[in-house]
Amino acid sequence: MEKIIVCIKGVPKPGSIKVDPETHTLKRESMELILNPNDRPALEMALRLKNTYNTEVVVISMGPPNVIPLLKYTYALGADQIILLSDRAFAGSDTLATSYVLAKAIEKLSPFSLVLMGLKSIDGETAQVPPETASLLGIPSLTNVKDLFMERGKWIAIREMDYGEEEIEVTPPIVASVSPLAFDYIRPPSLKRLLEVKTKEPLICQVKDLNLDPQRLGLQGSPTQVIEVFEKKIETKGLVLEGSPEELVEKLIEILKDKGLIKF
Amino acid sequence: MFEKIKLEDLSKENILAYGEFYKGELNSSSLEILSPLKEIAQTLNKKLILVSLIGSLENIKDWEEIKKSLADEVWFVINEELKDFREDLYTEVLVKIVKFSQPYGFFFPATKIGMSLAPRVAGALQVGLCAHVNNLEVKDNQIIMARPTYGENIIAKLISKSIPIMATISLGAFGIKYGEKEPSIKEIIFPEDFVWKSKLKIRRFAPSKKKPTKLSTAKVIVAGGRGLKNKETFQKLFELANLLGAEVGATRPVCYEGWVEEERMIGISGVTVRPKVYIGFGISGALQHTVGMENSEFIIAVNTDKEAPLVKIANLALIGDAGKILELLLKNLSK
Repeated sequence: MEKIIVCIKGVPKPGSIKVDPETHTLKRESMELILNPNDRPALEMALRLKNTYNTEVVVISMGPPNVIPLLKYTYALGADQIILLSDRAFAGSDTLATSYVLAKAIEKLSPFSLVLMGLKSIDGETAQVPPETASLLGIPSLTNVKDLFMERGKWIAIREMDYGEEEIEVTPPIVASVSPLAFDYIRPPSLKRLLEVKTKEPLICQVKDLNLDPQRLGLQGSPTQVIEVFEKKIETKGLVLEGSPEELVEKLIEILKDKGLIKF
Repeated sequence: MFEKIKLEDLSKENILAYGEFYKGELNSSSLEILSPLKEIAQTLNKKLILVSLIGSLENIKDWEEIKKSLADEVWFVINEELKDFREDLYTEVLVKIVKFSQPYGFFFPATKIGMSLAPRVAGALQVGLCAHVNNLEVKDNQIIMARPTYGENIIAKLISKSIPIMATISLGAFGIKYGEKEPSIKEIIFPEDFVWKSKLKIRRFAPSKKKPTKLSTAKVIVAGGRGLKNKETFQKLFELANLLGAEVGATRPVCYEGWVEEERMIGISGVTVRPKVYIGFGISGALQHTVGMENSEFIIAVNTDKEAPLVKIANLALIGDAGKILELLLKNLSK
C-alpha cells in the first residue's frame, strides 16, 4: 500500500475569534489555534491503517506558522512525516483556493493510496474541502466514512448516508472525510514521541515549492467573498423569572397547561 | 412519456436546483430550497429548474410533489447507472449539464449527498461554492447569500464572483411552498459516447434502523445543552418529551459529547425547527443553535445565566439550574 496523507487544520479556540474588519477574514495570526476536533478521528483512522498495513502516514496542514505545534502533536500521535503549507499568498483562501493548494501538495506526494480529512472544521464548517480537493485531483471522494479497510487491493468503505449505511468498493487512491463519531477510542500521544518531536520540525512548503498558479491563491483566487460580517444583536424580549426551583417549576407547569401541553 | 431534449438544446442562464432522489424518493429538502430560489428567479427574470438524476422512472414515488412544486421545469437524466448515488459519475453528469446550459445559479440542499456532490461539481467547474446558506436576496442584480459563521454569533454575507453562483442551502431553513402551474418535465438525452462509468461500487446498503426524528415538523420541542451537565440528566428530556408529546432536540456540543445522536442537533449544523413551543434546558444559545430555532412560536429558556442569548430571545426565561428544574418538573408532572 502506498502512503496515507492526512490533512489537518488549525482552528481558533472557541471564544478567541477575531474578524479583520477590512478583509472580513479571520485574523488567524493573532488567534490561539487548536487542532480541529473533527480531524482527530481522521488521524486515528490513518494510524490504525498504518498498524494494519504497515504504511507511512504523512500529515499536511495549510496555515500560518502557529500551526506547527499542532503538526508536531500529530507526530507525537504517530505520524511519520509532517508538512506545513504556509505562504502569505494563501491568506484569505476560500474552499476552492484551499482545495487547489491541498490538491497540488498531495499530487506532489504521489504515489498515495488514501487522503483522509475530518468531516468539517469547527470554524468554517463547510465540509467542502475533502470532496473539492478530490475533484481537483480527479479521484473519487467519499464523505462521512466510519470504517475503511482493504480487500484485494481495493478500499472498502462504510459511509453514513441520510438514509442508512452503504458499503462501497473503490480503487485507490481516494479522498475520504471521516465521520466525527467513527471511533469510541482515540489514542493519546506517546511519551517517547512527545520527547522525540521536540527536535523535529515540519517541512515547510511555499508557493514556489508547489508550482502554484498565483491567480488561484488567496483572496484573488477565491470566487466567494464575504462582503459583510455582523454580529447578531439580541435584546431581551420576554419575561425573565428568578426564584427557587419550586417556584419556577410551578410557573413552568402553569405555562404548559396554558399552552395545552398538559391536561390536568 | 415526456419531452426528450438534447444537451445542446437545453435553455440557458436558468437557476438550477438539485432534486435529490434516493431509491425513488425525492428528498423534501429539494422542495424546500425551491421556495427562496423561486423568489430569486422571479426577481432576476429567470426560470427555476429542478434537476434530478435517477435510475428509472418506474421507481418514482413522488410525482404529486413534483407536479405541485415551484419549479418552472424539471429536468431528468435517466440511466440505470444512476440508480445509486455515486459522486464521481453524478458529478460528470451535472458538469455536462452545466457546460451546455450555462446556468446563472446552481443550488443544492445541504443533505449528506448535497454536501458530497456540490463541492465536486464546483471543483470541476472551478467556481465558488457557499455553504449552509440560510438567507438569499437580490441586490443590484446580484445574489447575496447569508450564513451564520465561525461557530459564533457572527453572520456573514457572501457573494460569489464566478458563474454559476453555487451554494448549499441549510436544511429546514425554508418551508415548502407549492406553485400554481405544473412544471413542464423534460428528459435530457446524453450523447451516445457518454461513458456511464463510476469507480464506486455499492456493495451493500443497510437502511437506518432508527426512524428519522420528526424534529423539523414537531409542534413541541424540549431541547438540552451543556447546562444539563451530564448524559444521565440529558436523557431525562426523553421522559419529559413523552409526557408533553414532544421531540427531543440538542445543541452541537452535547451531540459531539455523545449524550445524544447527531440527528437531534438543532442549528446550523443540524436541523431548523419552528415548533409552537420550544423549551431549552441549559442552553446558552450560541448562534449556531439559535439560528435553527429562533422562529419557534413560544420560547422558554431554563438557564443559570441571565445574560445568555437564549434567555434574551425567550418569551419566558427561568433563571435556575436546568438539571434541577427538569428533575423537579418531572417529579411534579408524574404525581
